[in-house]
Order: sequence, then structure tokens, then C-alpha cells
Amino acid sequence: MAKNKATIDFENPKLYINRELSWLQFNSRVLSEAEDKSNPLFERLKFLSISASNLDEFFMVRVASLKDMINAGYKKPDIAGMTAGEQLEKVLDAVHKFVDKQYEIYNGQLVPLLLEQGLEVSGGEDLTDRDLEYVDRYFDEYVYPVLTPMAVDSSRPFPLIRNKSLNIAALLKKKEDSDEIDFATVQVPDVLPRILEIPARDEGEGLRKVILLEKIILRNMHKLFLNYDVLTCSAYRVGRNADLSIDEDEAEDLLKEIEKQIKRRQWGQAIRLEVEKGIDEKLLKKIASELEVEDNEIYSIEGPIDLTFLMKMYKLEGFDDLKEHSYYPPQSVPEFEGGENIFDVISKGDILMHHPYQTFENVVKFVETAAVDPDVLAIKQTLYRVSGNSPIIAALAKAADNGKQVTVLVELKARFDEENNIVWARMLEKAGCHVIYGLVGLKTHCKITLVVRREEDGIKRYVHLGTGNYNDSTAKQYTDVGLFTCAPAFGEDATAVFNMLSGYSEPLGWNKLAIAPLWLKDRIIDLIKREEEHARMGERARIVAKMNAICHKDVIAELYRASSAGVKIDLIVRGICCLRAGVEGVSENITVRSIVGNFLEHSRIFYFENGGSPELYASSADWMPRNLERRVEILFPVEDASLREKLWHILDVELKDTEKAHIMNDKGEYEKISGKLSKDAERVNSQMVFGDEAVEAVLKRDPGSSRVFIPEMNPKA
Amino acid sequence: MTGEVFAAIDVGSYEMAMKIFELDHKNGVKELDHVRHRMDLGTETYATGTISSSHVDEMIRILSEFRLKMKEYGATHYKAYGTSAIRETKDIVILQELIRQRTHLQIDVLSNSEQRFLDYKSIALKNEQFREVIKKPTAIIDIGGGSIQISLFEKDALIATQNLKTGVLRLYAIMQTVHATRRKYSELISELVNTQLAVFSKMYLKDRRVENLIIIDDYVSPILRRIKTEDGLVGYASNKEYSRFLENATDINARQVAKRLDIPEESIPLLYVSSILIKCIMDITNAENLWAPGVTLCDGIAYEYAEKKNFIKSPHDFEHDIISCAQNISKRYMGSKSRRETLQKIAVEIFDNTRKIHGLSRRERLLLQVATMLHDCGKYISMVNLGDCSYNIIMSTEIIGLSHKERTIVANVVRYNHEEFDHFGSKSPYLEGFSQDEYLIVAKLTAILRVANGLDRTHKQKFKDVKVTVKDKQLIINIDTRADITLEKGLFTNRAAFFEEVFGIKPVIKQKKMM
Repeated sequence: MAKNKATIDFENPKLYINRELSWLQFNSRVLSEAEDKSNPLFERLKFLSISASNLDEFFMVRVASLKDMINAGYKKPDIAGMTAGEQLEKVLDAVHKFVDKQYEIYNGQLVPLLLEQGLEVSGGEDLTDRDLEYVDRYFDEYVYPVLTPMAVDSSRPFPLIRNKSLNIAALLKKKEDSDEIDFATVQVPDVLPRILEIPARDEGEGLRKVILLEKIILRNMHKLFLNYDVLTCSAYRVGRNADLSIDEDEAEDLLKEIEKQIKRRQWGQAIRLEVEKGIDEKLLKKIASELEVEDNEIYSIEGPIDLTFLMKMYKLEGFDDLKEHSYYPPQSVPEFEGGENIFDVISKGDILMHHPYQTFENVVKFVETAAVDPDVLAIKQTLYRVSGNSPIIAALAKAADNGKQVTVLVELKARFDEENNIVWARMLEKAGCHVIYGLVGLKTHCKITLVVRREEDGIKRYVHLGTGNYNDSTAKQYTDVGLFTCAPAFGEDATAVFNMLSGYSEPLGWNKLAIAPLWLKDRIIDLIKREEEHARMGERARIVAKMNAICHKDVIAELYRASSAGVKIDLIVRGICCLRAGVEGVSENITVRSIVGNFLEHSRIFYFENGGSPELYASSADWMPRNLERRVEILFPVEDASLREKLWHILDVELKDTEKAHIMNDKGEYEKISGKLSKDAERVNSQMVFGDEAVEAVLKRDPGSSRVFIPEMNPKA
Repeated sequence: MTGEVFAAIDVGSYEMAMKIFELDHKNGVKELDHVRHRMDLGTETYATGTISSSHVDEMIRILSEFRLKMKEYGATHYKAYGTSAIRETKDIVILQELIRQRTHLQIDVLSNSEQRFLDYKSIALKNEQFREVIKKPTAIIDIGGGSIQISLFEKDALIATQNLKTGVLRLYAIMQTVHATRRKYSELISELVNTQLAVFSKMYLKDRRVENLIIIDDYVSPILRRIKTEDGLVGYASNKEYSRFLENATDINARQVAKRLDIPEESIPLLYVSSILIKCIMDITNAENLWAPGVTLCDGIAYEYAEKKNFIKSPHDFEHDIISCAQNISKRYMGSKSRRETLQKIAVEIFDNTRKIHGLSRRERLLLQVATMLHDCGKYISMVNLGDCSYNIIMSTEIIGLSHKERTIVANVVRYNHEEFDHFGSKSPYLEGFSQDEYLIVAKLTAILRVANGLDRTHKQKFKDVKVTVKDKQLIINIDTRADITLEKGLFTNRAAFFEEVFGIKPVIKQKKMM
């Protein structure tokens, strides 16, 4: 290995995986959960639904972006050396295969299993007359009034078909006129539920039946066009280049390029057409030509178009036993259970929480307590995505009302959330908070809260730092870590962060935190380099890094360099990973695994061996260009010995996960570990382990459950 | 909480800054927050003498934000000072009022000598290191936008201070005017600075050694403070180490330097100018070591406030510095050491024993001391026009630590020691801008100085031991001397009359009879 070290070009595109293809691999892993027989049936529906809605977003943002590049004549190759055209070709190819797989699972596995469990997804053909009568009555009473059929002829142009909407197209022939054929289209209304359950004939009947809305409309099409004969009709769906600004992941020079050519950008261009298999040729031709989609953008679907309806199906009542119950709900955090003031608890020592195994409530309580505590002078917080009806927003407003100085940075540019955020921001402003509406040119993605409190021995600062958003509802689904501390070094840095966010000059220095976009990337590269140096000196060198995505070329090249110097590197990357593991001379010391499970892996935790005095960090940032270069992000160390232990434990258990982990092989493909294990091998589901541990921690700390009486002693003795 | 939260605001020529401090008796002064907002006022006011309305708006916006920040910490007191940019504004009173109305903040204006004194006091916050450094001959180099201040230390005390108009912004503006390339900076700046430094050196450095330099600036210090020396000291560099740093910092490629030193690229040109400037001073003084305490004006403001409110006790005698500075000015104008000491002794004796009568504070006592030091400096120019010459010398000499008004008081006291007193409302040009209170201070100090000076008429220091008591509307001056004081006694009445006029007490000389 040593002899050819000098000749290896760690930036050779061959050593990298295209990020779109890597993302599709991730979605395949989600899909594999739908296929996994060890998951309860309804959970498998859910995973299939998630994979479908993921794909929708992927089209709207990423495929749209590739289209933009092609339209703009952007020639620069990506990290893996592919042009936009090459990428698009491969992506579409992969998506076709992916969609086929989705329906293979749906038709071949899930539908039969549902039937076995007494739930039929009906196409309409097999229903009894009585059922059909019910369905048609539903159509007449509820569906018909909200339908807007639109015919297309020489005087009426092809209407705009909304992005992601489900529609039905038909070819019509006038009843008296013999040879003229008209085209018409009608949107399947999104104000009505996509699935309709048909009431059972009598109580005792075992089989429950549901029918999809478009099937109801299809069989009643003739009622919409009374003077016509419906020759053929079929459902279809369009995916468009969303009317969004360019994805922030793109290179800056691309943005400039596109700005220059803004007129050439085709807003809302159709980039995906899904049609039912067996659609009439003529009908398809008509739709395709009107929408100007190419052949490889047409997806012939065998089954219901748009599988996101499965999420609704998941919520059908009565199938509780087919849903996941083996994961515990969020547990209380023992440190906070003494009933003491939250600030007193934090003053006793740093507290690390692991969500969603442990509840997010304390973070909410932290802000709520601060809002009413008479000694609190100021609260500052960054908000990225907040839940509807967020208790944190309410607490902040209350704090301002109570005369506290409240500063909130509301990130308006959070993808797809802009409108929601503006509403909250206005509300906070009205309540008297100082609201910062994001920073020009940067997204504020860091999650930090600072409370300034006047205490007996002076001003004291309490800080919460997290890897996940201040969103109490996603905190039940996303795995994240959060740290409470009142260490002065953290307090000073937190103050400096908010000063920067408020537009003041950068501080003269930082104690503990590393902040993107100015310092974080260099810090990560330095940390990796340090391991490399240790390895070269013959010391133990190791990196374990968990994140959602890694696609920053500089960072990956640095990891390759470290690996080739002998640093042992284990990556736990849920989503996109442009790094190739196990390439000889480059990355044979690197492993990549991805955990896709019941909860969405979201925490970012980094371990650096540092020649025997390990350092552990958590962060809001993935190792992606957008995080390290175009966002405000924070990397913070966890220093308390027992908390480091805890953080390490998270990484350690995830490295041992056999049930939900997929490992990247030397071809860059992911394989599930569980499939390769022998029968009696130890099996670990890390998410399950963390849940169990959270429960145990509560039991251990809870003296209330003891049944032993404690006698009062004579106080004078 | 036993202490107090205090905000110090500095409206500088290139930056507005605020520091929030926690002051208490146990921990002294503790910094809680430091915010800075870059705003180039200097370029504008140096050239036009006014501040544009957009800058005024910006200033008001930032000051309002500062106010909010004060609330975040429950700050109860503040002190806000404007420095050279504000000082050189013509409509200063209007600006102050506008700011007061909009932000409820009162901005005071610091004279150069006050500002430098505060900067200097801020160093004393780092007391232990400070004391260690000034054990050896030391110069403090305080680099501002418009000018720099060089102050010399010897044996623990400040002895001289000089302002040179070679501030970083000013030098940088010159570089831009002559379209100098980065490569030429070093050469050109040295040329500019060295001519001025040569004069300084001739005046002050002839027979002095300088071993240590203390640097106060906004560009080099923060970076020096990030480099730890081998002994783990922060902000120290030897001559050699500094040269190495200079090489690093003066690369032609600004972007690389910015990355290397981890500072914003926009500060690179001024860092460049500042570091060359320091190098020039290092060369001309032959200093061996450099210390950047990393303090700012805000620290000095806090220090002064905390000292006044007795949160901290100053281990270093700053008043002594002012006096020692005055002594050195006197020395420069050939004043006699024994004379100024005798005169000071007598004047202070009178001042201290008439406290109930004059009701003046410790600060005025200091002014009196300075006045005695400089009471006849004008004779260097002319023995005839002693009063006016002394006045002019004092008015054009900076005395560190004194405000402009205080310096005017001293100059007037010295002048009226020799010249006839102008009464309030006499429209004397010398008393222009004096309030009634300030006028009274001049009158009272003049009365004391005249008596003291009268006792030492013949300049032979016959009155070495003087005891002063107030008794029955008389100021009795007991003198223990064997010398013949006929002359003093005879001429005394004239001088004593003014004292009587001011205080309603008649000074009387009583000589102890020798056995």
C-alpha cells in the first residue's frame, strides 16, 4: 500500500458515488422495510407510503434541479464525474426499477396479506351490487358536486394539471356525432378522503372493504359527460419541476448560471407522468404530448397511482394488532424527576438527552419555566421547523409578555415550511419578541437556546444545544440528542452565536463551539487530519461518525487520506453517502452503515480517538456542502465523562445493530446485515435497545416504586 | 445579587462596541458580553466634520439594540463615550441630544487624553501581568484610527506621553491616496512613521531604554492573543517571534492570510498597517518584548466606574501617574525640582487644612498639584510674560488623564497666579465656556496657589516646614525656619488679599521664634 500512496488521487471521481443515486439507494432501504416480514403489516404499508412521498419530493427538488442544469447548459461534472445529462439518465433508469419494485411489493405481498387479515382493497369489479350501490350513491352525493370536468377542444386549451394531483383523463365521443373524438380531464378532488370504506352488510361479516376514490369516479365517468360516450378513461398524475428556488445544495456557480438564464428556466415543467398500466394508447399519447414529457419520464403503474394514500390506510381503525407496539413511548428523563426547578437541576451538572427514547418535554419545560421565572432576564432561541400549535412558541410569547427580553431567529427558508413559519414569526413579533427573519444568503439550521438568569452570585447562562429541531411532534419520531449545560464557556459561546445572528461582528474567539459556515468545515477537516497524524505515528486512531448524509468532497477526500494512513473509520449514515467503502488503498479501513428503522435516525454524533483521549461531539450539521458552507450550524463537544460514555454508547450500539442496519459493500451497494446472520447469532435492534434502556433508567432512579417503608428517626438522636 | 451589571459603550471611529460587565466586591469586574458593530464614522468626520444622516440613523439603531441588550442582563448603569469621530463632529451637541431623545442614552465625549487614560487604565485590569511588565522600562503603544499614543513608563510610573497622528485608518487612507500596492506598504508606512518617531525619539528616548512594549490595538492584539508562547503565556511575543508573525501576516495574498489567521478578509489591510506600525516602533525603541493585553476602551470605562463605585481597589496609583507626567513636563521646561516640591507641599498643606472652607474634592486637589508642578513653565520662553506663556504651554501640552476642561482649569490657575484675576462675567477670553462652578474652582485654586507661591517668593525654599491652621477667621501659617523672611512677609499682603476675597479668611504668617 505504501508504495503507491503518492500516486493515489483521492479526489478521483471514480472514488465517489453520485448523490442522487445514493439517495435512491437510501429510499430503497426505506422500501426494504416495507418488504421486511419482521415488521407488522401496517408498518410495512407506512414504509411503502414514506418511500413514495420521499420520491415525490426527490422529483420536485432534485430531478427538477438536474433538469435545470440541462436547460441552462451547465457542464460541470458532479462529485462522481457525471454530467447532469448522464445523471438524469441513470436516475430515471433507477427510478423506473424502484417504482416497479414498489408495486411488486404492494401487489405481490401487501395486498394479499391485507386480504388474509380481512381487509380488501377493491378495484370495484368484485363488489356486490349492494356495495356498488353504496359506492355510486357516495359518488352522487359527495363526489359529483366537487368535480370539475374539463373538456379540451379547439376553443378550450389543455388545462394546467397541478403538481402531484391525481387526475382522470378520458376520450369521449359525442353521442349524435359519429367520428369526432374529444379529450377531457378531471381532477380527483383532494378535499375528499382517498379511500372509502364500504360498510359491512352485517356485524358479523369478517371482511372489510375499501375502495379508492379514483375507482369510484372512473366507474361513474359517464355521469360527467352526459352527451358523450366515454370511450376510455384512466387515472394519471403529473410531477412538476416545483416552483421553488434552486435547491441550496447546488454549487454557487450554478445558481449564477441559472440566474443569468432565468428566462430559459421552465417553471413548472412536467418531469414525471404516472399512468395506469393498460391505458389506451391514444389517450396516453394525447396526455404525453400535451405535457411534453419524454418516454423515459412516463411511468406505467400497475396498481393505484400515488401510494402515499397508504398512510391514510395505516390510520384505519381496528387494525391495532398489525401495528408496531414493541417500541416504548418517550420516557421521562430521570435527572428532571426530582420536582426541582429545572435551572437547579442543570446547575448540578450537564444533562444529555436521547430523543425520542427520552421525552422532549423538558426542552419545552425549559422555555416554559424561563418564561415565568422572575429571575430570568432573557431568552434566545433559533427556530427552524416548529410544529403546529407549538408550546415553545406559546412560551416565548408569554415570556415577552412577562417583560423578558426574547430574541427568536425564525428560519423562513426551511424547505416547504415558509408559510407556516411566517405566521409564527408574526405572532411572536406581536407578542413583543425581537424576531430575526433569518440571515441573508444563509439558512440558520443550528438548534440552540440561551436563557440568561440573574442569580445570587451573579448572571448565569443556561444553554440547550441539540441536533434536532425545536419541534415537539417530530421529536417523537426523530432520534436526536440534546445537551443542557450552564458551563460558562458554553454560555459565552451561545451569547456570541446570538450576537452573530443579530448582525454583530464575529467574536474574537470561541471557547467550545465550532460554527458553520465560517469555521466548522475546517474544524472537521482538522479533527480528521489529527487522527491521520496519530495513525502515521503508529498510535491508535479511530473515527466514528453518525449523520444523515455525507457528500462534501473535501471531507470525504480527507477521510480517504486518513483511512489510507491507517485510521479506522466507521460511518453511520442514514441517507446520502457519496463515499465508497472498502476501496483498496483508499478506503479499506472505512465502513459505512445505514440504519433505517422505526424512528428516523437524525442525530449527528462524532467520535475521534485523539491518541487515547477521545473527543465526542454532537452537531446540527451533516457533512454536506450546504451544511458546512451555506448554513449556520453548530458543532459542540460533550465533555462530562458520564455523558461522553452515554454518547459513545449510542454509537457503539448502532455499530452492533443487526436488525435495521444495512452495510455498504465494496460495490457501493447496501446489504442488510440480518439476512447474513446465522440463526443463533446475537441480534441487536439498536432503537429497541435504547428504548429499553430509557425505561430502565427511569425505574432505577424512581424511589417511589419502592414498597419499603422508611421510618422517621428521632431528630435529637 | 450583591453586585451590579454595568454596560460600557464605545462609539468609536471605526466600530461601535458595547461590553456588559458584572461588578461585585468579591470578583471585581467580570465581562459578560461583548458586541461590536462595524461602522466607519471616522473617514467621514475627519474629512467633513459632520456625520451623515444615514450614519446617524445607523448609530441610533445600534444604540437602541445596545439598550435591549442591556435589558437582557438587567444592566442598571451604563457609560457611553464617543471618541475621535464624535469629537471631531461640529454639531456635537445636537447629535447628543438626538441620540438622547431616541435612545435614552447619554453619549459623553472623551478628549484624547481622557480616552488614552482609560485605555491605559484598562490594562491595569490585568493587574498582575501589568505590574510584572512595568517593572522594566516600558512603553504603551495605543493605536487608534486617527492617531497613536506612546506613553513611557519608568520605575512603575508614567513619565511621558505623546500623541502622533499616525493612526491606522489615517495611514491606510494615505496608502489609498497614493495608490500603494500591498508590496509597497511596508516601505511607505515605515517612511511616514519613522520621521515622526524620530522626533519623538529625540525628545524622549535619548537617555532611556525601553524593554517592553504594551500594545493596545484592534487588529494585531486579537491574533497575538490566540498564540500561546512556550511558557503558556497569552498575548506575549519576543522581538523575534513578532517578526515571524509579521512575515505570516503580511503575505501578499489577503485571502490566504485571512484563512491562516482566521479573521475576516476585510480586516486584512488594517491588520497589515497596524503590524507594520508596531514593527517600526519596536525598531526605534529597540524593545525586546511585546505584550498585547487585549483590552479595549470598554474595559477602561468599566474599570473607572468600578473603581469609583468601590467594587475594586486600584493597586496601581493612577493619580501618581498624572502627577509624574506633570513633573516631566516641568522638567522639559527647565522647572526646578526642589521648587516644585516645596510649592506643592505648601499648596497641599493649605488645601488639606481648608477643606471645610473650600469644599473641593480630591480631583481638584490633583489639579492643584498639577498646577504647582507647572506654575512657572512659561519662563522657558519668556520671564516677562510668564502667565501667558505658561498658559499657552499647558494648553498645548497633553496631560494624560485630564480632560480638556480640567487642563483649562490648570492653565488658568497657573496664569492667574501671575496675572490679574478676571471676574465671572468679565467676558475674559480665558474663561470662555466656564460654568459658575468651574469658575469657582479656578478662583479657589488660584487663591491657594497665590498664597503658596507668595510664601516662596524668593525661591529659596525657606518654608520647608509649614503648618496651616484655621482660627478666628484667620488662616494661620506657622513657619519653622531660621531664615530671614522679611521679604516674604512684606510682599505677602498683596497675594493674601485674593485669598481673603475668595474665602473670607485672612492668611497670616507666624514664624516660630528660634530659641
